[in-house]
Amino acid sequence: MGVATQRYHKNEISFTKASFFLDFAKSVGIMTMATAFGLIFSHLGFSEANIITVYILGVLIISVITSHRIYSFIFSLISVIIFNFFFTEPKFTLIAYDNGDPVTFLVMFLSAFMTSSLAVKLKTHARFEAERAYRTQILFDTNQLLGQAEGREAIATATATQLVKLLSRDIVIYLREGDALQAPLVFPAPGHECAAVLISSDEQEKALQFLKQTYDENTDASSVCLYFPIGMNTYSFGVVGIALDERTLGTFEKSIVLSILGECALALENEKNAREKEEAAIMAKNEQLQANLLRAISHDLRTPLTSISGNASNLLSNGDNFDEETKRQLYTDIYDDAMWLVGLVENLLAVTRIEQGKMNLHFSVELMDEVIQEALTHVNRHKASHRLVIKETDELLLARMDARLIVQVLINLIDNAVKYTPDGSTITISAWRKENSIMVSIADNGPGIADDLKEQVFEMFYSGAHPIADSRRSLGLGLSLCKSIVMAHGGSIWVQDSPDQGADFIFTLPAEEVTLHE
Amino acid sequence: MNKLLILVVEDDLPVRNLMTTTLKAHDYRFLTAQNGQTAILEASSHNPDLVLLDLGLPDMDGVEVIKKIRSWSNMPIIVISARSEDNDKIEALDAGADDYLTKPFSVEELLARIRVTQRRLAMMQSGQPASAVFTNGNLRIDFAAGCAYIHEGELHLTPIEYKLLCLLAQNIGKVLTHTYITQHIWGTSWENDIASLRVYMATLRKKIEKDEAGKQYIQTHIGVGYRMLKVE
Repeated sequence: MGVATQRYHKNEISFTKASFFLDFAKSVGIMTMATAFGLIFSHLGFSEANIITVYILGVLIISVITSHRIYSFIFSLISVIIFNFFFTEPKFTLIAYDNGDPVTFLVMFLSAFMTSSLAVKLKTHARFEAERAYRTQILFDTNQLLGQAEGREAIATATATQLVKLLSRDIVIYLREGDALQAPLVFPAPGHECAAVLISSDEQEKALQFLKQTYDENTDASSVCLYFPIGMNTYSFGVVGIALDERTLGTFEKSIVLSILGECALALENEKNAREKEEAAIMAKNEQLQANLLRAISHDLRTPLTSISGNASNLLSNGDNFDEETKRQLYTDIYDDAMWLVGLVENLLAVTRIEQGKMNLHFSVELMDEVIQEALTHVNRHKASHRLVIKETDELLLARMDARLIVQVLINLIDNAVKYTPDGSTITISAWRKENSIMVSIADNGPGIADDLKEQVFEMFYSGAHPIADSRRSLGLGLSLCKSIVMAHGGSIWVQDSPDQGADFIFTLPAEEVTLHE
Repeated sequence: MNKLLILVVEDDLPVRNLMTTTLKAHDYRFLTAQNGQTAILEASSHNPDLVLLDLGLPDMDGVEVIKKIRSWSNMPIIVISARSEDNDKIEALDAGADDYLTKPFSVEELLARIRVTQRRLAMMQSGQPASAVFTNGNLRIDFAAGCAYIHEGELHLTPIEYKLLCLLAQNIGKVLTHTYITQHIWGTSWENDIASLRVYMATLRKKIEKDEAGKQYIQTHIGVGYRMLKVE
């Protein structure tokens, strides 16, 4: 790329005074040499044709080494005049006696001019080829860089890097944010102190006007940047400012900048489309989940509601006919089903809070002991049929958590243990510290969970391979919710076989150190 | 026969029926109010011993009712809230409520809270708080000497633990929010204070309740605060 850049800059040398004198001096030198050769040839008695050839060669060389075709034209003419002056009778005058001489002059001029024109054309063609190759190379590199870039900022950075490399000027990029522009990203040219004027509020305002297409750069000479849109069709993704440094941009530079910006806009467009697609996919997935949730809830609500309303209506209509024990059973059923609904509502609240993302979690440092105690006060009263053992530790186990949600995790795990083990089973709750994590285990000595189901139990709406799901009152929501909650805390949850062959659910939370405040 | 007069402020009829039925069954006297305005009127004209206040009222926010009542009276207020967000409870407690219950609550829980308040009232009427010695079950604090005893054995407390114990004892039966406690102990309520508070509370509890065979003096309200319970 370095070589290409150099060549490119050489080609771009414009028609300045210095280069004009240099080219002119070179041309005069070559003409003098041609005349010298001509004089030698004529002295040696060579024919005029040889001398003419020398002049044509001279003009050809001039056309090659000078930068403008005007030289070919001027020196074609001059060569004819000099030839006339030195080599046609009468010598050292601009008069020609021979009738054929004007024809000779004309032919000489035409052939000198046409060969030199061809040479110039060839040269220009070669230069265009080089530019095209260079441009293709740059665009190819840009394309590759953009392909690797992920996210808007990365795309802007890749574009700016290429522009800086190409132009050796400071670049400022403003990405669009709704109808405004984000804070400018500045990419200074190597070895260049980035001037603050580039991103002065004045310039930022100009960039914004440019985005809204109310800014006309031609009428504003005070601008330190030249602005280009990064846009597809009529939509702009942002604005690029190129520091002018008192040099304007050449046509070729301008065209290549536009091509690069085109690539950039394409990349931004793709990125935008990909993001929208992803969002749509997430939304679709959420909707799917919500639909599943609603279906599961309405199904699971029906059973306890049937029992509650049915039992209550029985008690209302012929409560007097039931004996005390039957009545008591009906009351208990109503109470149990209502309590089940209460638990369901708590879980649903937790689900919505988790779904709304981390923003809604209230983290604070809590003592694991206290959290476990709190959970036990909420555990279903069925626990009377099971033995709950809490292993106390003397260590203070502190963890950062949303206490309400972790209490919900514990309630779900303990309720699950109660639900899926036979009466009389023992459930052991323990917590300990392992390196930087607090581990909490809820182990039972029930039938355990088969190895191939250990992963599945955490899936949503999984409720075991129980054919009579209605009698179990399980939404299959509890464990998947536990998993989401623990994951949101940066912990993990799994199930393993407990020493006495039951299931042992373990979850971890990051441990917290506290510096005591005296 | 319970002589306690309880004002029930609840706009939902079935829940109000549930509460009044429960109170009737346990021989409490009660008044009812369906909205905030009536509640304030009833509270000022009948001067009840206790207010059970639902936070979600049709005409005004329950917290406003607490502030109004607190402007002239220290009558105990138990807040009943269907909102499970801790912030609502904390706001109500900081506005001057003594305790809270979250819907759905069990009848036993409601009665237990009323009993706690009843004991606290009895204690306030006997003029105890002004005295130099505080006793609660086997716990005794001698404010003048700056010492605390359990089973007549002296408790070895750090200055902060002693301060915490005194604060809880002076507000026995009342739920104190984390912010309230840290403000009183450290004068600030940064997150680190709350974390420290957990640790001090845990060690304080261990020291007091070590030999007390399941008796609970300090109750933790996760996400809300702490309360000293009256022990018989």
